[in-house]
Amino acid sequence: MTVQERDQAAQDERPQIPSTNGVAGNSDADNEILISEIADIVPEDGHIFGKREVRVTRKSVSVFDASGVQLLTVPMLEIKSARTESLVGGSRLELTTTSGIMPIAEFTASVAPRFSEMARGIEQLAKGEDFAIKLAYEKTRCEKCGRLLPEKDGRCPACVKRLTVLKRIFGYMGPYRKAAILSLTATSLTAISSTFLTPYLTRYITDSVLTNAGSRTMAENLPRLTFAIGGMLFALLLGVCLQFLRSSNSIYMSSNIAKDLRASVYRALEHLQLSFYDKKQLGAIISRVTQDTDRVWGFLVDGLPYLVSMPLTLIGGLGAGLFLSWKLTLAILLPVPFVALVTTTIWKPLSQRYHRVGAKWGRLHTQLNESLNGIRVVKAFVQEKGEWSKFETRNNDLAEAGMTADKFWIRAENTVGLLVGLGPLINWGYGGYLMLTGEITLGTVMAMQILLWQVYGPLQWFGQLNNWFSRAMAGAERIFEVIDAQPEGYDKKDAVVMPNMRGDVTFDNVRFGYDKSNPVLKGIDLDVKAGEMIGLVGKSGAGKSTTINLLCRFYESDAGSLKVDGVDVKDIALEDLRRHIGIVLQEPFLFNGTIADNIRYGKPDATLEDVMEAARAACCHDFIVAKPDGYDTQVGEKGGKLSGGEKQRVSIARAILHNPRILILDEATSSVDVETEKKIQVAIGNLTKGRTTFAIAHRLSTLRNADRLVVIDKGKIAEVGTHEELIAQKGIFYSLVETQKQTSKAIAEARSDIAIEEEG
Amino acid sequence: MDTAVLEKPEAKADEVAKAAPDFPQTQEFVTPKISRMEMLKLFYKPEGTLRLTIERNPEGWENFSYPTVKLYQAAPLSSPGRYIVLHDGKGEEITMSDHIDQFSPDSRAIAEDEIRRRYLTAKIQSVTSIKVEFGITYWTVLTDKGERDFVVQSLTESCIWLSDRHLLIIDVDGNRFEILDRFILDETSRTNLALVL
Repeated sequence: MTVQERDQAAQDERPQIPSTNGVAGNSDADNEILISEIADIVPEDGHIFGKREVRVTRKSVSVFDASGVQLLTVPMLEIKSARTESLVGGSRLELTTTSGIMPIAEFTASVAPRFSEMARGIEQLAKGEDFAIKLAYEKTRCEKCGRLLPEKDGRCPACVKRLTVLKRIFGYMGPYRKAAILSLTATSLTAISSTFLTPYLTRYITDSVLTNAGSRTMAENLPRLTFAIGGMLFALLLGVCLQFLRSSNSIYMSSNIAKDLRASVYRALEHLQLSFYDKKQLGAIISRVTQDTDRVWGFLVDGLPYLVSMPLTLIGGLGAGLFLSWKLTLAILLPVPFVALVTTTIWKPLSQRYHRVGAKWGRLHTQLNESLNGIRVVKAFVQEKGEWSKFETRNNDLAEAGMTADKFWIRAENTVGLLVGLGPLINWGYGGYLMLTGEITLGTVMAMQILLWQVYGPLQWFGQLNNWFSRAMAGAERIFEVIDAQPEGYDKKDAVVMPNMRGDVTFDNVRFGYDKSNPVLKGIDLDVKAGEMIGLVGKSGAGKSTTINLLCRFYESDAGSLKVDGVDVKDIALEDLRRHIGIVLQEPFLFNGTIADNIRYGKPDATLEDVMEAARAACCHDFIVAKPDGYDTQVGEKGGKLSGGEKQRVSIARAILHNPRILILDEATSSVDVETEKKIQVAIGNLTKGRTTFAIAHRLSTLRNADRLVVIDKGKIAEVGTHEELIAQKGIFYSLVETQKQTSKAIAEARSDIAIEEEG
Repeated sequence: MDTAVLEKPEAKADEVAKAAPDFPQTQEFVTPKISRMEMLKLFYKPEGTLRLTIERNPEGWENFSYPTVKLYQAAPLSSPGRYIVLHDGKGEEITMSDHIDQFSPDSRAIAEDEIRRRYLTAKIQSVTSIKVEFGITYWTVLTDKGERDFVVQSLTESCIWLSDRHLLIIDVDGNRFEILDRFILDETSRTNLALVL
């Protein structure tokens, strides 16, 4: 049994694993198996891959080995809590019991999210709460071919037929139907003219003009020659015209299809959930818009015309050849099966090698992107040599991979060339023999020679077609993967439209984890009234930014509900929700363009007067007008031409003009000096008036204006109250404040010591 | 590392009090200096819960026990078995050993066991097959933990070269596979690897 079959069998078997204690199917609710999961690591014998089943009933948690023997049972009454301990490359289910922490099962990351839910269920049962968990079986293998799926419950790329992908690419031809028909007609006519006209004219000029010319007078020969040359000229002009018609239409069509594909990918990327970006490198995503669409373009320009003309030329050539001499035609075609065999055999290894080249390109692209983006850091740390060395390695790798693939291609091409070269040999050998026996004329042999290249020419390109085709299909697959990926719910049909919003926010037992097996928020409950300012406080990684990410619906909660004005954020029309939310980040992102464009980013129709009003409120009007180009100042890529404080105030002006009901300030003042911070605080004061505000700040003193402070600790709300209340409570907030005071004091003392030394 | 100082001792006082009754208790709270790694006694109690006792030393302070200890390797990929860090229940460092050999034989065996429990990265011993289809790579490998099939979505993003010979592969689920030295793999494995990487 292969691993694949074994895993499949394990999946199929899961619901029927025999019960040793006879509880399966027991009508007794207490003994009913509520959850049963297969852990895929066996802790004994060096933590090897294997099978352990964990069953949960209302009364106990039990572990069984692969043969169904019960190894362990923990009564529910003894369980205090349950959790999955994150390990490296997997996790462990642990129960905290009355006698300590007890490891229950180890498993790989493949099943970790399910055990995380199991842990939650066990905790609910242990605490006597309602048993409510979300456990859905996700397919890990394709039902059709048994291959592992690239994503759980995802599509099997092997079972997506290439023809389907090709059809999908052709679907993009819709708007360019006229050009496609013209191109196809021109291609067909070219094939006919090249397979019939030219060989027959060659036979005519050889047999009827040049052969036995001496036995005729010049007056007899000249019109024949003129007719033959005229015919050839006509064939040439017809060929050129058709070629021009075909090429110009196919270029027009393919360029537009590539443009449409790029637009589709970009549009899809814009609407993708942020979790897509969490898992992928930016360079690799960019290459889908550039390189992959280029590959499809390349195929449409070079490959597709061949795909259409080749069969036509082959059929036409075969028909013409059979008409000229069926014996010679069959003889000439002898190497064709071998050519087809070779080109088919080389296809897979060739495509693998080109995939490798693609991967090396990706690495080089990422490295280049990173080192140039971080060029200031590279220079500041004098790491030009280090970056050069990385680049050189990747550049060499790419060259090596390219050479390997090209060498393979050249070897294959030469083999095909050799086989194709046998065609003329057969023609001269067998054709010559037939001519000597008087069965055919010299003109027929010459015509067959021309025809030979018409037929063998496209066959030689057959390998190249495979190359274009495989690269284009791989590119198209990646493009369609992005286009088909789960977008954010912009177009949800039953979404609640909210043109106006008050700004009441309610978190009800909200749970969430970026990695489902490792929850970040473990049940957040919070009621925020419209216009209230909430300061979110806590250590790094406590879950403050995650709370905000859920409010903006950058991610959706795994459990519980998050409501704005009583409506679940998942049900609110996404555009409406985000229109009413404004964000000021620690490191504001400005787009390349003018200051005015950046301020009116969220409201493109704002007048310059509106922009200036917002800028005044954000305390940035003065520095903007002092610049030579004022509001027309180009901020540069990522706003690089402005200082940190300037960028921050421009981003506040942007938020003010956006006029959101809910405002999020994520460490908005942490990256600026004290003087600038004062100005920003004034700006923020103007911004927060009358808006529901969530402010995250490490400098706790900046949250004094907050109506309530919410302390988040280890994914839960630990304390809520005003600044004074929390200080009096002497809990986590108090100790955070005290730590900061001590740190500030130490820094002040150190500074004064330095000042004294300098004065001394 | 010959000497390490236990920081913030007051934070650990309550932990010490919770230590199992049949293990040595602290009588007087002092800041113990770990002058020799052999002073550390790692053990499991109950089974599966790692504990640490710093044993009585000639300088006069009593045994000191941590009821919950986590063991990490500071650089598990580049320096496995070296720089072993011990954290207390609050996630604060107790000490670091330069090398696992510095522990006493019994504690070393426990430390090795704990490393095996925490670091589940499978070490690839041979690459049976690698199939590239549609930009996705299907792997069948034999590891130190047994045979395994897995899928890699993007070779560029998921195959990380730690050195010219050392490779870390992360599959679509986040499982980790390590090739410690690609040059000592069998020929078939090397050929399979060379086709894609």
